[in-house]
Amino acid sequence: MRRVSTVAASVAGFAGIVALHAGGAPSLPGAAPPPAPVSSAPGTTRPGTAPGTTTVPKTTAVPATGTAIGTSEQYGYGALAVKVTEQSGHITDVSVASLQTAEQYSQNLAQQVIPMLRNEVLSAQSAQISAISGATYTSEAYAASVQSALDTLATK
Amino acid sequence: MVKNDMTSLVFDPTQSAKRDSSRRRPAGSRPGPTPRRALAEVATVVTWLGFGACIALAVTTETWKQLGATGGVAMFLGNLTGLAGSYLALVMVLLVGRIPVVERVLGQDKLLAAHRRLAPWPISLILAHAVLLTFAYAEAARTGVWHQFATFLASYPDMVTATVALGLMVVIAGTSVYSIRRRMRRERWWAVHLFMYLALALAFAHEIALGPSFVGHPMTRLVWSLAWGSTAGVVLVYRFGLPAWRSLYHRLEVAEVHQEGPDTVSVVCRGRHLERLPVAGGQFFEWRFLTTGMWWQAHPFSLSARPRPPFLRLTVKGIGDYSSAVAQLRPGTRVAIEGPYGAFTAHHRRRPKVALIAGGVGVTAIRSLLEDLPRNCDPVVILRASHADEVVLASEVVELVRHRKGRFHELIGSRSEVRLDRLFELVPDMWDRDVYVSGPEGFVNRVVATLSRRGVSEDAVHFEVYSL
Repeated sequence: MRRVSTVAASVAGFAGIVALHAGGAPSLPGAAPPPAPVSSAPGTTRPGTAPGTTTVPKTTAVPATGTAIGTSEQYGYGALAVKVTEQSGHITDVSVASLQTAEQYSQNLAQQVIPMLRNEVLSAQSAQISAISGATYTSEAYAASVQSALDTLATK
Repeated sequence: MVKNDMTSLVFDPTQSAKRDSSRRRPAGSRPGPTPRRALAEVATVVTWLGFGACIALAVTTETWKQLGATGGVAMFLGNLTGLAGSYLALVMVLLVGRIPVVERVLGQDKLLAAHRRLAPWPISLILAHAVLLTFAYAEAARTGVWHQFATFLASYPDMVTATVALGLMVVIAGTSVYSIRRRMRRERWWAVHLFMYLALALAFAHEIALGPSFVGHPMTRLVWSLAWGSTAGVVLVYRFGLPAWRSLYHRLEVAEVHQEGPDTVSVVCRGRHLERLPVAGGQFFEWRFLTTGMWWQAHPFSLSARPRPPFLRLTVKGIGDYSSAVAQLRPGTRVAIEGPYGAFTAHHRRRPKVALIAGGVGVTAIRSLLEDLPRNCDPVVILRASHADEVVLASEVVELVRHRKGRFHELIGSRSEVRLDRLFELVPDMWDRDVYVSGPEGFVNRVVATLSRRGVSEDAVHFEVYSL
């Protein structure tokens, strides 16, 4: 009887947190389709679609060209912003615009994983990249910043 | 000074029996508060809700992609075991936190038993956490395990303290393994055990600084910090603060030590405001006699009578250096107390009638418990001893039983001569009674086993074990 109630309570606790998580917490990029930007601007990369595909804009058909700096993303161990260059809707370069970290370890880690993340973005041609294990937060921040840069380029 | 006669000058037991027989509660101390069973049930449910929530926390911060990445599975399991292990460690701390509302319902015996039963889990989970994450990070960073371990120490925040904490935990857990523990002096083992508080405090920083469920999740970070903060508060208040306050407030000192039997002494203490000490008959205190050789160790002894302000009395059987030192205590010696603890009280009675069974010095708890039992409980009291002169406090017990129109028996003789089935001859209606059993561990275990074999319901059996 007691065992049943302890198991039931554990399951209830588990379910409670999962429900809370599903309801309120923002999903991680790469884990699930990120929510569409509030101003659904033309040329915005539609989340969840295959890498590289962009929605056909209602008004403009010109693929984005130029350079934009993404938002600076806080990621627990630091903050990171990237600069994205596009040529006719094709991502040709990603570089780090700014990087501050809480401590030396995160700095080292970021410097290790940023080239990998850059390669992932270049090959995926979008911000839909998988997180580098052991650097999940850096990966998420990187992806989010890339996405915001792409959004900026698409609305230019 | 040990008086050799068997009467006390200041503590008149017959007076206590007479006073108790009046309709009113004696002018003695305040009765212990009623245990709130529901509160303990709620606490149990909340505890397990929290456990489920911890597992969920580890699961919800994880994504399929992370799981698929190099070292991802080990990383996830490492985080999960870390969270679950430290949560269970928190529960273990609370189990021995001497929280009065919990103590009154479950009693220290059961709480310590639960603490012991749970013990292997947190330490195993936390060890698994450390090993798994070292392997996971090594795999992810494509480096060696030892190199990764060095990296943790050198460049991760709060990992040096966490590693020290792990080391402490392993040592402390080691000393608590039965085969090692029984070779250590109780006081030394206990002193080592207290370092667990330090270990848990040291480990806390790395959980908050690195835990994926906490970094970037201010809400979970807040809840986790509050949980540990309030646990620390509970420990400080109930394990240290309240005993210190009670000791200072009541200012107990030894008034008299007198012989009860061949190797049993009673210590009568005098104190202030004892009418405000919330204690029930059958409960015990941890006693600390503040003399040069004894101040650093606390030992559990039952009150052998309800307090008679300004006096209260404990009775100690002389086994070991410590108990013989108790016999040498001088009047005026200051006494510090922790307690009262124990759920061996009249509050837990569920039936109108009772049977009280004491082995040896276990009579002390029965003696004070009797005072709390009403006059119509038809008590049958059975005192068990190997020799007639080992029966102590018998005259007081007889008096209390007489006032309740109950029956009194002594079972004297060696273990081979006295079969415990005799209990059922003396108490033919055992099944209709609440049965209180106190005494040395072996005795209590045998009686409880006999009762259970003969079909006495488990919730009617209450026991208090004396560790000698």
